[in-house]
Amino acid sequence: MRLSMIFACAVLLCCSAAPAATAAEPYRLGLSAAITGPAAGTYAPTFDAYKAYFKRLNDAGGINGHLVEILYEDDRGEPSRAAATAKKFAEGVSAIVVASTSATYKPFMTESETDKVPLIFGGGVCPKEAFPPAQPLVFCSTSFGAQWDSRFAVPFIKREAGGRKVKVGFVAQNIPISQSEMEFAEKLARESGLESIPVVVVPGGSADLTPFAAKLKEAGADWVLSWAPWPLEIGVFEALSRIGWNGSYLLYAHQQAQADLTRLKAPNLYAFGGNALFTENLPIHQQIRDAVKGQTAHPADYMAEGWVSAMAIEQALRQCGWPCGKDKLAQALTTVTVDTKGLRGGPIEWSADNHYRKSTYYKIYRWDPAKNAITSVGDWTRLEVK
Amino acid sequence: MTQVFASTLVLASLYALVGVGYVLIYRASRVLSLAQGDLMMFGGYALFAASATLAVPPLVAIGLALGASFAAGLAIYVVLMRRMAGHPVFAAVLVTVSVGILLRVVVVLAYTDEIRHPAAAMAIANPPIALPGGAAVSTIDALTVGAAALVLTALYVFLRGSRLGIRMRAAGERPLLAAQRGIDFRGVFALSWALASLTGGIAGMLYATNVRLEPGAGVIGLRAFAVVLVGGLDSLGGVLPAALLVAAVEVLTVRYGNPLLADVSPFACLLVMLLLRPWGIAGTREELDRV
Repeated sequence: MRLSMIFACAVLLCCSAAPAATAAEPYRLGLSAAITGPAAGTYAPTFDAYKAYFKRLNDAGGINGHLVEILYEDDRGEPSRAAATAKKFAEGVSAIVVASTSATYKPFMTESETDKVPLIFGGGVCPKEAFPPAQPLVFCSTSFGAQWDSRFAVPFIKREAGGRKVKVGFVAQNIPISQSEMEFAEKLARESGLESIPVVVVPGGSADLTPFAAKLKEAGADWVLSWAPWPLEIGVFEALSRIGWNGSYLLYAHQQAQADLTRLKAPNLYAFGGNALFTENLPIHQQIRDAVKGQTAHPADYMAEGWVSAMAIEQALRQCGWPCGKDKLAQALTTVTVDTKGLRGGPIEWSADNHYRKSTYYKIYRWDPAKNAITSVGDWTRLEVK
Repeated sequence: MTQVFASTLVLASLYALVGVGYVLIYRASRVLSLAQGDLMMFGGYALFAASATLAVPPLVAIGLALGASFAAGLAIYVVLMRRMAGHPVFAAVLVTVSVGILLRVVVVLAYTDEIRHPAAAMAIANPPIALPGGAAVSTIDALTVGAAALVLTALYVFLRGSRLGIRMRAAGERPLLAAQRGIDFRGVFALSWALASLTGGIAGMLYATNVRLEPGAGVIGLRAFAVVLVGGLDSLGGVLPAALLVAAVEVLTVRYGNPLLADVSPFACLLVMLLLRPWGIAGTREELDRV
């Protein structure tokens, strides 16, 4: 009798404890970012955006009654650290999120393939594995992607040239993805009848960019297109300005674009990108400003990439339900359609074979001296990603 | 070609400003300061702090930053390097490495990894100046060349003509004799650290105002280190020709060679010099053993 009483109590305890444990169990994700190191200026704000987003989400009760637990690791943009982080994450998380340099991608891809864990790139350049036909476990929400950005940029230069004969220069950093994109752009330019100057490849650590700028100036560039990490893109423009070049410069609008367009006030500097600048003051921009207030040392307008990525992850987790294992989450990710609320020109839609987005949108901004403000050059342009 | 010449002169001036710091410390104390690049970066941040955080007028900000650079060098000697007397030189060199790391950590904690622009904080314009032959340099480029000329001339006059300068030279060249003559070694060492930090700081302020400011800016110090080894580690006179040589090779590599080799060109110059004349253009042959 006594034994059966003890047994009954134990069963009761177990039964009452089980649902509580399930309710407390969080969605667990791993996030590797270059929080420190040479590329931290670009990726640390993205990391802060993820933190602020999921803090806000958890404060509101989480997803499907479960909190989202993010395990953060600083990979410093180094492949060796990324490899260690990937191994650490692979066992205990439902997905790995990467906001780091392309140099770290390989170890994450390997680990993702071995342990069948979904890999979401948000903040760093989209790898080709996310484009159609996509690898089953690789997804990317970042606004910029190789082979697509140039398809928008080169026709824009041609349009602006308005039938005049113009010479176009190209600036890449000595990293494979930047170099190949600018070589692709040069090819597009030649095919569209623009006169092109061979790509100028600049080592990332160059202290003085003037000799590179002088090369472009002396080659007679009327337009220069740059697709590289922001410090190099803007650094070459500034070096060109210092030696009195008066041509037009088009660069990809990374997170620092708004701050530098405002600082330089140069009407010949055009920034094209996939994110709406915060100068547009959309309601979502105010939401981000409010959410990150006191959470980061970086300006709110550096948060767009991380925020959009977090929106996509939130939706995938909602669709995944509970419990949400790696396989189920990978499946849920292929059905994501995120309303970016104006942060992008349209939604991010992933499908079984397209993990980049079905359509990608671009907008161009520049400094308008007449308005003494940043203005957009036209509205969003949509490109279908096939 | 004029642009190549102008770019070379500007880059050489920057290298010379950073490089003299290595030589000043080495000549006085036989310590190789590997914090020189970070002291350069610190000068840039001091200017940014004064102009953006304290929001003082540009001239006051420059004055404060110069003072902070001088004081930083002095403080490093008084707090750390003085205690290294009697220890192996190797240990002192490691301390300078630690100082560099510490300086980088301090600026990241204070100003994050973000790129900063003191010129914008001071509302300073940097218009191009046209040169003959279609070349151009920025106003701050021209100031960098002027600053390097001024600093090198001032150091020459100071070391040759002033009482304190002669004492510094004496302490560096004949330490035993100088000690017997009652020269205050600690004062000489402290002054050499302060001056090295000041020249590095000037380079940092000019670079940050002209280009940009980031915690990794101190990497320029590594190239300047190659410059001083090419010139001769114990020779102030070797700094300028070495800076011109290294800068010319770097600029010409970008213009007419493979731009990707520009980063390594200072070290290629160093390797060639080590093979041909290991003590550098104007260095002392006997110093080689000590290094």
